[in-house]
Amino acid sequence: MRILILMMVAGTFAMTTLANPKDETPQYKTAEAKHFTTAEGVELTPAFADYFYAELRSELTKSKLVNEVVGEGEVVDDADATKSLVINGTITEYKKGNVVTSALIGIGRQSLKMDADVVRRSDKQNLCVLHVLVKIDPRWNEKIMAKEAAHQMVKEMKKALAEGTKPS
Amino acid sequence: MTLRDSLRLTTTILVAAGLVWMAHLQANADEPKPKPENTISIQLGEPVPPQKFQHPPKFWIADVTDRSGNPQPMMVMKERGGVFLDKQPTVIVKEAIEQSLKAAGLLAPDSGSADLVLRVYLFHFGLAEGSGLDFFGKVEFSTMVKNTKTGESQEVKAVGTSIAKGAVRKKNMQKNVEEDIEEALRDAARNFLRGTELKEAVTALWKGTEAVPVEVPSATETPKPPSR
Repeated sequence: MRILILMMVAGTFAMTTLANPKDETPQYKTAEAKHFTTAEGVELTPAFADYFYAELRSELTKSKLVNEVVGEGEVVDDADATKSLVINGTITEYKKGNVVTSALIGIGRQSLKMDADVVRRSDKQNLCVLHVLVKIDPRWNEKIMAKEAAHQMVKEMKKALAEGTKPS
Repeated sequence: MTLRDSLRLTTTILVAAGLVWMAHLQANADEPKPKPENTISIQLGEPVPPQKFQHPPKFWIADVTDRSGNPQPMMVMKERGGVFLDKQPTVIVKEAIEQSLKAAGLLAPDSGSADLVLRVYLFHFGLAEGSGLDFFGKVEFSTMVKNTKTGESQEVKAVGTSIAKGAVRKKNMQKNVEEDIEEALRDAARNFLRGTELKEAVTALWKGTEAVPVEVPSATETPKPPSR
């Protein structure tokens, strides 16, 4: 009986390992993240966009979705263009939140909404549209929100690209 | 004013002056000083391969000017005893670009033999304000690319960023900061050398060079200054 259980555990472990190989080849060659623009009325510091750009690139590198994360406005070889992505986006809404109501009744957190398009570099075909909403404590630094937004953005992107989501 | 009032006033003034002096001394003591153990060396490492140009020009870096407005450009971090650079950021950036251009055979031996002269204006070098959970390295500069023959010039901007994880121990923190700035420098050099802005600038300025022989006046004519 013990041997049977051990064999079952070993079999499950082997199947899991085979299903998720660690040395998975990235699906895309390069990805270029652009600085996100802010919609009218969004009051965020200019440093926010810079920091979010850096975090987004860092998250893209960590995700292993692409071989290489190139900087904004860098040239990409024509041969790699079909397997390259460009991420454009806009911060559509930012609410500062309310410290008092957040502390007392748990509402009024600061929130950030952003939309992004992931397009193929060669033919500019839209591969997926991403919508991200981040809510954090109003006492926290806006850069923490940028960090969380970048993390969510890449997670959504990975999921959408894996599913082959097409724009409606 | 009685003698007692006068004495009280004098004592108050002396105590206040003493407190100000003590605060001044304390502030000076908190100001970090560069020492071998808190100094880091930023190097590019492997040269960044520049993009391929249709007509590869020879570049020369005339100078790098610090436009960051930072009174202490070599201090990258003030907290926890400070972290300092071993060289001026302008020198580090110049060496990084020169190293990459030289490796690709695009660096002229002197300014006279260069097709394009670069003047770099450094706006940011080191750490920028991040979330506090990690280190945000940033290197940002703008370059004026000037054709030595026609006198025409174009601006090329470059920015490099990097995020490194935070650390508790001072030794690890210093290591992470060093790696973070090196990565940001590499990213900025890459953004400059492989950027479409540089490609467009080189193409536009090269066209100017090709057009020059047509516009060259005969030996009897007086040459006109280049239009600005």
